[in-house]
Order: sequence, then C-alpha cells, then structure tokens
Amino acid sequence: MIAIEDQIADLVASRTDASISVQTLGNFQVWRSAELVGSKEWGRDVSLQLFQFLITHRHRRGLHKEQIIDRIWENVDGKAGQQNFKVAHHGVSKVLEPDRKSRTESQYIIRQGATYQLRFEDMWIDVEALDQFVTLGNQVLLDDPQLAQLAYREAIALHKGVFLPNRLYEDWSSEERERIQLLTLGAFISLSELLVKDNPLESVRLTQQALQIDHTWEDAYRIQMEAYLEKGNRPMALKTYKQCERVLEEEFGIGPLPETRQLYTKIKTIH
Amino acid sequence: MSTKKDETASFMLRFTQKIFNNEAGEPEVQWRGNIRHVQGGDEQRFSQFDEVVSFIQSKLADLTIQAMEDKPIEEQKGILSKSFDLWKKMALEGPKMVMETIKDPKKGVAHIQDQIQDQIHQVKDEITQKLEIDTWKRASKSDYNQIMQKLSDISNEVVALNNKVEKLSKKSSK
Repeated sequence: MIAIEDQIADLVASRTDASISVQTLGNFQVWRSAELVGSKEWGRDVSLQLFQFLITHRHRRGLHKEQIIDRIWENVDGKAGQQNFKVAHHGVSKVLEPDRKSRTESQYIIRQGATYQLRFEDMWIDVEALDQFVTLGNQVLLDDPQLAQLAYREAIALHKGVFLPNRLYEDWSSEERERIQLLTLGAFISLSELLVKDNPLESVRLTQQALQIDHTWEDAYRIQMEAYLEKGNRPMALKTYKQCERVLEEEFGIGPLPETRQLYTKIKTIH
Repeated sequence: MSTKKDETASFMLRFTQKIFNNEAGEPEVQWRGNIRHVQGGDEQRFSQFDEVVSFIQSKLADLTIQAMEDKPIEEQKGILSKSFDLWKKMALEGPKMVMETIKDPKKGVAHIQDQIQDQIHQVKDEITQKLEIDTWKRASKSDYNQIMQKLSDISNEVVALNNKVEKLSKKSSK
C-alpha cells in the first residue's frame, strides 16, 4: 500500500503530468498540454455546457444521451436538444483532442451505444484533487497531524471560489457545488484547529476564510476565539464572540452553543 | 408559451446537526440549515422547518404567477382566486378563531375544523375525512401562540400574493 505522504506527493505531481487540466473553482479554465484553451476554441456555449456537465457527473457511469440532453437543455424541444448534443459533442472533442483523426476513439469521452462518460482518470480536475486531498487529510488527522496539515493545505490552495460560478442557476450543478463547499469548509476548520496552538495567526486567517464561505459556521468563530486567546488578544476574542452571537441571531434566531458560550465566559474572566 | 424551465423549481437544502448538553446537563439536538432556490439563487437560513415551507411556498407562488403571465387576465384571476381562496378566508377568520380557541379550546378547534371543511367542499376537493380534535383538548398557551404566529404568517403571505396579482393585472392592462 502506498504511504499517505507519497499519495499526497503523487497527487501534487499529477497536475503537471496531465495532458488536460481543468479548473472549476472560482473560474472555469482548461489547459491542454499546459496551454490555456481560449474561450473562442469552445465555439458555442453548448460545448462548454456538455463538458462541464460531464465533469460534474464524472462518477456516474454511462449517462444516456437523452438523459444528458434533458438535464442540460430542459427548455428546448427534442430535435433542438439532439442538435445541441451533436454540436456540443463535436465541440468538446475538438477542444480536448484537436489532432484526433475522425472515426477514431476518443481518449476522454467514452461512448457505449447511446451512453457517454468522461474518462477523468486521465485528466487533472481541481475538485477531484481537492476531494482526494481532504480524504487523505482526514485519514491521518489523528495519527499524523503534520501530514494531515499538508493534505489540507493542498486542498485549500485549490479553493479559488465556488464550483462552476457561471452555472450557479443550473439545477445539475447544485449537488456538486454543495458537496465541494462542505468539503472545503471541513478542510478549513480541521486545519485551523490543528494550528491554534502552533500558529494562532494562521488559524485566525483560515477561520476568516471559512467564514467568507459561510458566515454562520459557528465552529469557525469558536476556533477563531481560541486562536485570538492563544495570541493574547482578548478584545478580539470577545469581539469574535459578539459577531458570532449577532450572526446566529440574525440568520437563525438562535444563540451560540453552550461550548461557545463557555469559552466566552472563560475569556471574560481572564484579566 | 411557457417553457419547461418555467415549470420547475429546485431547492438545495442543507441541515447541520448540533448535539450539546443544555444548562441542566440534559442532551439536546439542534438543527440549523439553509435552503437555496437554485434557479433564482435566493437563500435563506432556518432553524425551524416552518421557515423552509414558507420559503418554498413563496418561490412556488412566484412560479405560478410567472407561468400565467401570458394567459388572459380573466383566466389569471380565476386560477389565482381559486388558489388563494382558502388562504384568504383563513387570514380573515384567523384572529377571531384564535380568540375563541383561547377561550374555549375545543369549540375553537371545532370552528377551525368547520372552516376547513367548508373550504374543502367549496373547492370540490376529494378530502372528506374529519379532523381529529381530541388531541387538542389540552392545548397549551404556546400552542395558541404558534397558531397565532402561523395565521399571521399566512396573512402576510396573502397580502404579498395579492400585491403580486395587482402588479400583474396592472402590467397586463398596459
């Protein structure tokens, strides 16, 4: 079995080795042999839509053509949907493999009858890498916190914003966006918690980033209070609690958890 | 013509569970969450499920109104008035019913039951089952408060929906 440390290193290296690299977080960009694919190369938006859809559903085996059409172009009739798919499929193939000869098998889009799927194992996709870094970090969190830190740092470095920001209002992208956001929040919280004692300022910075993703995440406020306390900045620790209290009241109509309140009481009593 | 997209509303719901011991040392569970209307992008946080229902309800009402934009104004009015009839009556009768319920719980609940039955007959619904009122006999004050809150929410919704209808009517008559 490959050691976790090597798995992390392999995952980092896989980006430079990949012939196709895809960024989906914060912005959508594709690199082919390390060269950025220009937006004009995609031609019509339908090509981008199909590729993004296949990336989003990369773990689904054999998506039926009709199913794909129905999910992406739900507001067009059957004939127009078929035409969109044809144009999109051609567009994606042209971008990913511009030199592929006609009637030869695609390396990336596997077709079996009327079903299609992305062979993403041969690509580097940021969300896939982020997912794997977080998984590796979680695996060693208790046994090897230093290694866990390394994995979480790699995951967080990939977080440039929300998943497919240009498809925020598309039904088919929501599930993956939610999943990735929770994974990312988890990485921020775990790493900031690991750093509270050794590097409280970095811990504060990380919790601030977590709160930018979700300003109601109470764990982030609590860790931030601990980090400020560790740094000796009692006023900021108290201010953080007040902010947490206000946000929870405004958004949920509830107060902080006993754990957070107890920490606040503890900080207040320190002189 | 309405597209298929106009008929769909998707919602992404997130629940976060918080388990803790209260001041008396008893374990408690709290649910926090947020709901997002995918097509519109609006988001709302909640700690009570009622808030989810009302969020969904308001988005679905928007969808209905949008879907009727191209229908003749008379048809729009007909559909909307049928749709809102029950809510309107509940909102109008609500405060009176609540006061009666506080004075005499069983009588009050029976009154609510009659109102609902009356509406069910009016809209020719197939629901005929009588509501079970025995469990309401020992209703507490917090139950009345809850009813009051719900009726107030419904009332606000009807006002908001009526405003939308009026806006639509004005738009169509231009």
